[in-house]
Amino acid sequence: MDEIQLCAVSKTYNPGLFKKKVNAVKDLSLEIASGEVFGLIGPNGAGKSTTIRMLLGLIRPDSGSILFRGKALTEQDIRSEIGYLPENPYLYDHLNLRELLRFCGRSSQLSVEQIVHRSQELLAKLDLLEAQKRPLRTFSKGMLQRAGICFALLHDPSIVIFDEPMSGLDPIGRKMVFDLVMELKQQGKTIFFCSHILSDVERLCDRICLISKGRLIKQFHRDDFLQSMSQAVFLEVTDIPEQHREKPLAMGVQIRQEGQGCLLAVPGENYFSVSAYLQEVGIEILGCRAEWVSLEDLFMQHVKEQEQ
Amino acid sequence: MRYLLSASALLIALVLYGALFPAVWQNREQVRSEIPAGYIIPSKFSRILALGNQGLLADFLFLKTATFVGGRGGAGQSLNEDDWRFVTSSLDVVTDLDPYFVDPYILAEGLLAWDAGKPDEANKLLAKGMEYRTSDWRLPFYIGFNYFYFLGDYPSASDYIMQAAQLPGSPGYLMTLASRLAYYGGKTKTALLFLKEMLADTEDPLLKKRLEKRLLAFEGAVLIEGALESFHESQARWPESLSELVTSGVLKKMPPEPYGGEWLFNKKGRVFSTSKFADTLQTNPTPSE
Amino acid sequence: MRAVFALAVITFKEGIRNRSLFGIVLLALFLFGLNIMVAGFFMRDVGKVTVDMNLSALSFAGLLLVFFVGVNLMAKDIDRKTIHLVLSKPISRAQYIWGKYLGIQFFLVVSLSLLFVFSCMTVVLLLSLYPNYFGGFSWVQFVVACFFVLVKFSVLTAIVVFFSAITTSSLITLIFSFASYIAGVTIEEVVFYLKSEFASQEQMISEGLRHFIAVVSYLLPNFSVFDYTLEAAHGLTIESSRMLLSVGYGVVYSCILLSLASVIFARREFN
Repeated sequence: MDEIQLCAVSKTYNPGLFKKKVNAVKDLSLEIASGEVFGLIGPNGAGKSTTIRMLLGLIRPDSGSILFRGKALTEQDIRSEIGYLPENPYLYDHLNLRELLRFCGRSSQLSVEQIVHRSQELLAKLDLLEAQKRPLRTFSKGMLQRAGICFALLHDPSIVIFDEPMSGLDPIGRKMVFDLVMELKQQGKTIFFCSHILSDVERLCDRICLISKGRLIKQFHRDDFLQSMSQAVFLEVTDIPEQHREKPLAMGVQIRQEGQGCLLAVPGENYFSVSAYLQEVGIEILGCRAEWVSLEDLFMQHVKEQEQ
Repeated sequence: MRYLLSASALLIALVLYGALFPAVWQNREQVRSEIPAGYIIPSKFSRILALGNQGLLADFLFLKTATFVGGRGGAGQSLNEDDWRFVTSSLDVVTDLDPYFVDPYILAEGLLAWDAGKPDEANKLLAKGMEYRTSDWRLPFYIGFNYFYFLGDYPSASDYIMQAAQLPGSPGYLMTLASRLAYYGGKTKTALLFLKEMLADTEDPLLKKRLEKRLLAFEGAVLIEGALESFHESQARWPESLSELVTSGVLKKMPPEPYGGEWLFNKKGRVFSTSKFADTLQTNPTPSE
Repeated sequence: MRAVFALAVITFKEGIRNRSLFGIVLLALFLFGLNIMVAGFFMRDVGKVTVDMNLSALSFAGLLLVFFVGVNLMAKDIDRKTIHLVLSKPISRAQYIWGKYLGIQFFLVVSLSLLFVFSCMTVVLLLSLYPNYFGGFSWVQFVVACFFVLVKFSVLTAIVVFFSAITTSSLITLIFSFASYIAGVTIEEVVFYLKSEFASQEQMISEGLRHFIAVVSYLLPNFSVFDYTLEAAHGLTIESSRMLLSVGYGVVYSCILLSLASVIFARREFN
């Protein structure tokens, strides 16, 4: 069964009297399977945060429904399964991290031992052990972000919702969070996150959903990018006429039309025979690429299409 | 289920509130009627404490004072010496805070002079008002009235009424009144005239009611005085008692005494009442003789 | 229940560590000091002046505590979206309201108790300095009056929580709560004025206005109910039934406000 299910969810905002209503999310349907890492991407104002807030029940959809494990979001039971990190979390100024985590644990009905154990573990992982007694107002932006992650994960939720988890982090912090997400993934948690940093999304997510102006544009599967990880060599070539395509395909080459030319993914061991064949039929090799298709390309392409 | 629970809790709370509300207010009413008038922060301090809102504070204090007196009056309780001291100092503070505010002066005249029997205090406040509201004829007029009516000081009364007569907007009769006062002094007939003019000029409903009552009393007194005079003329002696006036046919029937007292007279042909024409106070000085 | 207390605890800690608390305590101390200095200026009734000034200092400090710290403790959560974090935990909206109220309440109790201790020290000092001028003074009445200062601010806190729950900014909460306070302090005078002899002869006061004020007197808290300054100042006896009524009134009024706040809050959306 799907862990999270959004069925034809719509939400409009009324920004005030005499102003035009804003369609924040329109007819959005998503399914997120258990144990999946799901990335939601889109330009600013696409409706990402609105979607997340609807997931958390902070705002109610005008129409459509949101189901967690087939049940509507009734407040208590499912909520203890959710961990949430908002974008730029603002935490209490005068508390220290330890008190904040104690609050988090107690509100999630953890025992005192569990709270101490879990919080020390998480603090160690996110390198906050030394800062745990300092008031939160003395924290830097990156530290706050990490503190927010501790807050979200303390009660060991099985569904984790991250809103821009990487924002404000330095490279070391990003690596920390990255590793943490990978670890969560290995533990079989369902992770829903949205981000602007496409390279992170690309590396982490099993499935990516692109939305723009509140509408679902396209869903990509991890396999769409998988070539980037494999041993293939990517060649940019001039256009290959239909009659010459048969042979390369037989050698395991993938061909993708790209503007005037083509992009070929050539398995490493067949590189020489393929290049010899191309020379033979008079197709020029224009250059070499590192990846089959980048998320950025797809993003730009689809957003432009949408705008037209 | 949860909604039902919280809704019923809210309902119970509302019902409780509905039951408590009248009890609390009733209790307040009782408490307010028992407490002493309290304490007024001297204007030196309250000016500072008002933080620039002296006018507002003056309004509030004035309202509070009026309510205090009105509340006691409504409950049929008389004010004691402490209460009057509170009213006096409170009005003093109000007029310190905002010396141009006319209502406290009017109230001072109505309460201190009429009810409390403190025409001196009233005159002090009114004199303060005269310094600021230099073109308001009512203030010297009231002072003059107090001198005439309560204190029996006709020269001063005539002085102040003359001053009032010279101010813009003052009624035309003041000039004649001033000269009459200077000449005749206090005959009840003069007072009657004075009251009639004042009544015609008064818009404040409470004062109007008081004046009407007083007028009724004076009309009674004037009627009896007239009867006394004709009795004296025809019989060359004063009657033994006022009832003799009725039995001898000089007076058809004894006029009512609106303050509930008994009519009295002296051997100069002046008429008084045991009530001294006062609602609540014992110390009210005898009307001018 | 555990969640409510957990929230109350962090709210309390957040409040008690707020630096404005120091300022407010200092101000109260200054007022107590002022009391000690000016006590000598009065010829008699030093006890009365002392009680007046102490209770006023407590009241003033309490007002500042509620408006400068209390308002921030809840309204800032919504202003700065911390509430998103809190509500993502298994805490219902109603639990949030009650937790916040309890937290602010706890904060008020602790800070006012601290000030109360200072206040008692002032009184003890003045008692020893001018033992002959404390005629009507009685500790019982003084403590009762101080307690009702606390009750008054508990009701005010409920008002703050209510407005925080229905408005979107802390400034609006502050303005509405302050307006309610001013109105609540004066409503009794207005109501009794309308009942008094003066007003009944005033044709300007229409029936409509009378009804309006009657309705308003139901909606607003009557803060004069919690005012025992006069009794404390003059050592007058206080009937226990009156105290019971006052406490009951405060508790029931606060409960209604908080329940209403919970209901409205549960329907609210947080952007």
